[in-house]
Amino acid sequence: MTLFLAAFPVLLVGAGAAALLQSNRAAFVVSLGSQAVATALVLAAVAPLLAGAAPLELSWHWPPPIERVSLQLDGLGAFFLAWSLPMTLLGTLYAWTYLQPFFDKGRRGGWHFALLALTSVSFVIVYSVQNAMVFLLGWETAAVAAWLLVIYDYRNQKIRFAGFNYLVSTHVGLFVLVAAFMLMHSATGSMEFRDFGAFLAKPSPTRSTVWMLLGVSFALKSAFFPFHTWLPRAHSAAPAHVSALMSGVIHKAGLFGFLRFTLLMGQPEEWMGWTVLVFGALSALFGVLSTATQRDLKRLLGYSSTENVGIAAMGFGLGLLGWTWNAPALSLAGFGGGVLHLFNHALFKCLLFYAAGAVYRATHTVDLERLGGLAKRLPRTASLFLVGAVAISALPPLNGFVSELLLYSGLLSGTAPRPDQNVLLVAAAAGLAFVGAVSALSMTRAFGVTFLGSTREPQLHVGDDAPGTMGWPMALHALGVVVAGVAPAAAMALVNGALRPFPMAGAVLEPLAPALWASRALAVGLVVVITWSWLKGRSARRSVTWGCGYTAPSPRLQYTGSSFVEQFARLFGAFIPALRREQLPTELLPQQPGSFATHHADPVERRMFEVLGQGEEYVTRSAGKVSEEPRFAFSAGLVALLLIALFLFGATR
Amino acid sequence: MNAERLANVAALLVMPFVLTGVIIRVKALWAGRRGPPLLQPAWDALRLLRKTPVYSDVSTPVFRAAPWVLLLTSAGSALVTPLLGTTPVFSFGFDFVVLAYAWGLGRVALMLAALDTGSAFEGMGAAREATFATLVEPALFLVVGALGLFSHTSSLHEALALKVTGGASALAWASAVVALVVVLQAETARLPVDDPTTHLELTMVHEVMVLDHSGPDLAAIQVGNALKLTVGTAAVATLLNPLAGEGTLASALLTLALSLGVAVVLGTVESLIARFKLRTVPQYLAVAIAAGVLALLAATWRTGGLR
Repeated sequence: MTLFLAAFPVLLVGAGAAALLQSNRAAFVVSLGSQAVATALVLAAVAPLLAGAAPLELSWHWPPPIERVSLQLDGLGAFFLAWSLPMTLLGTLYAWTYLQPFFDKGRRGGWHFALLALTSVSFVIVYSVQNAMVFLLGWETAAVAAWLLVIYDYRNQKIRFAGFNYLVSTHVGLFVLVAAFMLMHSATGSMEFRDFGAFLAKPSPTRSTVWMLLGVSFALKSAFFPFHTWLPRAHSAAPAHVSALMSGVIHKAGLFGFLRFTLLMGQPEEWMGWTVLVFGALSALFGVLSTATQRDLKRLLGYSSTENVGIAAMGFGLGLLGWTWNAPALSLAGFGGGVLHLFNHALFKCLLFYAAGAVYRATHTVDLERLGGLAKRLPRTASLFLVGAVAISALPPLNGFVSELLLYSGLLSGTAPRPDQNVLLVAAAAGLAFVGAVSALSMTRAFGVTFLGSTREPQLHVGDDAPGTMGWPMALHALGVVVAGVAPAAAMALVNGALRPFPMAGAVLEPLAPALWASRALAVGLVVVITWSWLKGRSARRSVTWGCGYTAPSPRLQYTGSSFVEQFARLFGAFIPALRREQLPTELLPQQPGSFATHHADPVERRMFEVLGQGEEYVTRSAGKVSEEPRFAFSAGLVALLLIALFLFGATR
Repeated sequence: MNAERLANVAALLVMPFVLTGVIIRVKALWAGRRGPPLLQPAWDALRLLRKTPVYSDVSTPVFRAAPWVLLLTSAGSALVTPLLGTTPVFSFGFDFVVLAYAWGLGRVALMLAALDTGSAFEGMGAAREATFATLVEPALFLVVGALGLFSHTSSLHEALALKVTGGASALAWASAVVALVVVLQAETARLPVDDPTTHLELTMVHEVMVLDHSGPDLAAIQVGNALKLTVGTAAVATLLNPLAGEGTLASALLTLALSLGVAVVLGTVESLIARFKLRTVPQYLAVAIAAGVLALLAATWRTGGLR
């Protein structure tokens, strides 16, 4: 515990010194050094906990209004600390070269490096503290630090707006969290988590309200649908390492909060499990559909966060259900898959954001329609991005596949007590399969349009390939992705630490051992095949791309990002509406040049603004859409719904 | 057990060429021609293997690796498929998840190779393939998941060896056959989803993605697709086979005969109807999803706890 507590002053001193130092290099070194020391201290403290030691506890008196500060470092907190601090450290390392152009223009970087260290401070607080007041303090520190990190380039009005949007959203979440804490405080007269736990253990209407409030607040933190509206803006506005840390690390605090309060509550009710499962599935579906249409690479990756936290939440929902049904294997598959997925997501999402940052650093744009053919100019970034893209599409043999396989093993196990419950779980598995396929589409599009083919803008200036300190953080994350994919036991050792406080016990991956061996065999085959084709192809004959008889192709003729997704977007237009701005040529010999532009706005944000701005008109217009004479499709839909309801209720008897 | 495995491996080596040959022969017969020898696809592959590939200037190593990734994943998927209606070479829990995702990897590799050429046509093919795959994948999971609920199992060959015992399982069985046939047609680029022999690049899906591949690379793609065809027909045949799962010679022969029968049906369908409009293809694939949902709803009728 002393080791762990020592990390706190080290980080604070590092942050303070970094803020005060005049030289950017000194501030960077101090911030990086203090984080490195703190990381070493924290890792030394949490390693025994992950291996199975008893939780560390500490409590001391403090002046009001806090009264008493208790710290408890258990497996769950240890798990989150074990990767949050090292990843923030790598993000700081990346920032040094990424922000270099700003420093060259005389911008001071001290505050930025101080804020990165402060983010680590907030992890140390949030993941260990057992007092609601202090928890809120850590929560708020992370939120404000993230806001200030986002608006690094504050001279740009769009970035200030994105930051403000984030600040408002995260505080709405804070108010909801405060409301939940106040309810529990009024019921228990205490701000200690232990007393909260005693209250949450007994089912009551207040408990249900508190649980919903906590759920909303944590969902807002982790950017679940429909609370994600701040996310795409913030992620496209922030510097790449800040996007990476927010998406991969900082906002995992929402999922942590959910797990922490689940543990405090103990045995959940069945509706809670279903709520989380459905909520997670909705988030995954909406998030992944939105990734398909984005033009901005970083916005695309931002939406994919909504998708991946949704997948993790599906696991948590399954875990809760297994808990209520006394099916420990199901529960382990759910919680294990969910926790492993959020760890995997931290690995590959940071990698992808860093690679997107390397693209931005080299070309000064992340607009897919302007890029293309970067694989030849930025080979390191391209190959690392490809690793991340394959992992995030949950394809074998990388780490995303392992966590999704674990989820499938729960969803498809058929171990729920009633057949209709099993059927709903299989339907959720089909939803997950859809999410995986769409994710593969989006990532193929993102990688293919950015890195393959030829550059769409021939005059695009392309700089260095991941210069300076940008390469190492990417390479280390890619290594993590590969290791967690082919040797999942390594990642599972961490996850098992997080699962230890839960009442279920067992070897999570054991039933999947043959499937994982198959995935490893595939990995070996892939290495052989890729090396062989690479060697063989170096001296091969070269010619031009077959143009189907057309002999004057230009890079502008290539399939673009929006044409790649055109058919898909039309199919799911209800969820990813396209806004068109067109001025088509009118006469036979048009005098005015025509123009046409499509744009995919966030549907939730658009509706929200629509309702806020012109609520009455909106309601009238929506009411007008319901036709007075039901048409065939409407009746058929009604009949299908009736049949489904009949089947489901017929089975529950 | 070992004899069974060897027989499976033999089927894996021979069936891809025979099935492709049968489809070509059936189409030729419907058109009033004699058609090439049954094993012509194998000779074609051998001939391609002897040629020197040519690569586009635009392409990167991704383009050169993709065909072999496809071949690898297709061959791997054939190892967990009951080609003879009984235990395949390898069988384990959730093997079909590995199969589906291995196919996904092969597909992504091929789509990336298409984008790698910088050709508008190939990008178009990749976009269509990606769009259709998003509809095929959930259908596959719905069907196999529902069958797994009936057979209390998580491995593909046991799920496919469904015993029809009553109304609910009959409904699930029929829906599963429909869904798997549609999935098979979509995944292996057959009519009415995709026309493998059309002459207009604009209307192709799969063939247009591989326009730039030549020589051994093209052979790898063709064999990979033939393997996928073998996997698909074997899955449908196992489902149709009343003796499936017995492991007898009769059952194995019946599965092989049914696989050939499915190939004949595919060839007949290709001879009698034209490819659907690209806008209607998603609706056709939705049939597979609807059939999957129906199979799943049939599973709710079953009562009692499951293993």
